[in-house]
Amino acid sequence: MIARPPFDKRSQADRRTTSSWELLEQVSATSLDEDYGRVAARRGAQGKGSRRRPKLLAAIALLALGVLIAVTTLQTRSASPVDAQERSSLVSQIHDREADISRLANRNDRLQTDVGTLQSSAEQLGGKGDTLLDALNQARLLTGAIPATGPGLRIVADDEANGQAGSGGTILDVDLQVMVNGLWQAGAEAISINGNRLGSLSAIRTAGRAITVNYNSLIPPYVVTAIGDPDTLEAAFAETPGGQAWFDLETNYGIQFDMDTVDQVTLPAVPSERLDTQYAQRPSEKP
Amino acid sequence: MIALLGLIIGVAAGLIIEPEVPDSMEPYLPIAVVAALDASFGALRAYLDDIFDDKVFVVSFLSNVIIAALIVYLGDKLGVGAQLSTGVVVVLGIRIFSNVAAIRRHIFHA
Repeated sequence: MIARPPFDKRSQADRRTTSSWELLEQVSATSLDEDYGRVAARRGAQGKGSRRRPKLLAAIALLALGVLIAVTTLQTRSASPVDAQERSSLVSQIHDREADISRLANRNDRLQTDVGTLQSSAEQLGGKGDTLLDALNQARLLTGAIPATGPGLRIVADDEANGQAGSGGTILDVDLQVMVNGLWQAGAEAISINGNRLGSLSAIRTAGRAITVNYNSLIPPYVVTAIGDPDTLEAAFAETPGGQAWFDLETNYGIQFDMDTVDQVTLPAVPSERLDTQYAQRPSEKP
Repeated sequence: MIALLGLIIGVAAGLIIEPEVPDSMEPYLPIAVVAALDASFGALRAYLDDIFDDKVFVVSFLSNVIIAALIVYLGDKLGVGAQLSTGVVVVLGIRIFSNVAAIRRHIFHA
């Protein structure tokens, strides 16, 4: 055995200290392949002498080593620029994303401000819309475009029980006009005659042998319904010239005339053709 | 002399030709280089000890490279490739150091 352990001067006790030391020492001791020694010993025994010059085989092996070293070096060097490139591209991507984030955050802030502004203006407009709608409904109620309901007064009037035509016992359009006028005066807010609501274009007139309202012929008895203060409407009407005239008619001409206060009455809307205007226009200035 | 020439020609050829290494082989190249270095330093020491032999060198060279690569390959398959690589490099490194120390003793007679 020619291979010499390099640490053979150590005592046995030292050598046994730890197993890892033994392992390291064994690695060091056998660092030279034992085959070299074995082959050389055999060669010496055969008397051939040591063949110590490296030949072609060794050169080929070292050539392989050289190629290996060169290839590995190239591989490592070519890999590192790729790594650096990837890293820098990732870094720039991070920067891009960070810029995106701050841009989006700014946009978010702006949009939130916008939302707040729009919300407050929407609230304002909503309030305005409600006001306008209220005003419109009030106007429609006043012009008779929509039905009206409320407490009021019902007047039932009829011709003299067995009077003849042309005598004083017949109710004329003028009588109804006077009555309506008196009701407006007494504070009535909506009036209808036999279910014909009086609008701002409604006329009460005689056409042929009948009285018409909104172009509808009326058949006696005439039922005049008015919406107003139920506590005062009847008394106030009685004091108006219209009311006085009707008491007169009742007394002197035998015309039937009854008044009743009602808690709840609904008047229909004016027919839509009596709500059209052709010439009257709103002044151009906005209200 | 012829051996040194082989080494130089090998490095030059590798640098000039730049052979393409398959991706699957790439992780085993550094380990193979360390194993080959170990065999080569062992051969140099044997040469200085006057016991060098061509066949022994080539066999130890090839077996070193192949076994080192196999161990790392096995480690990769078992999921401990990095640890096994470290172990192989440590063992081969110790061997290289002790061989170089012997070579130094030969050259400087110290």
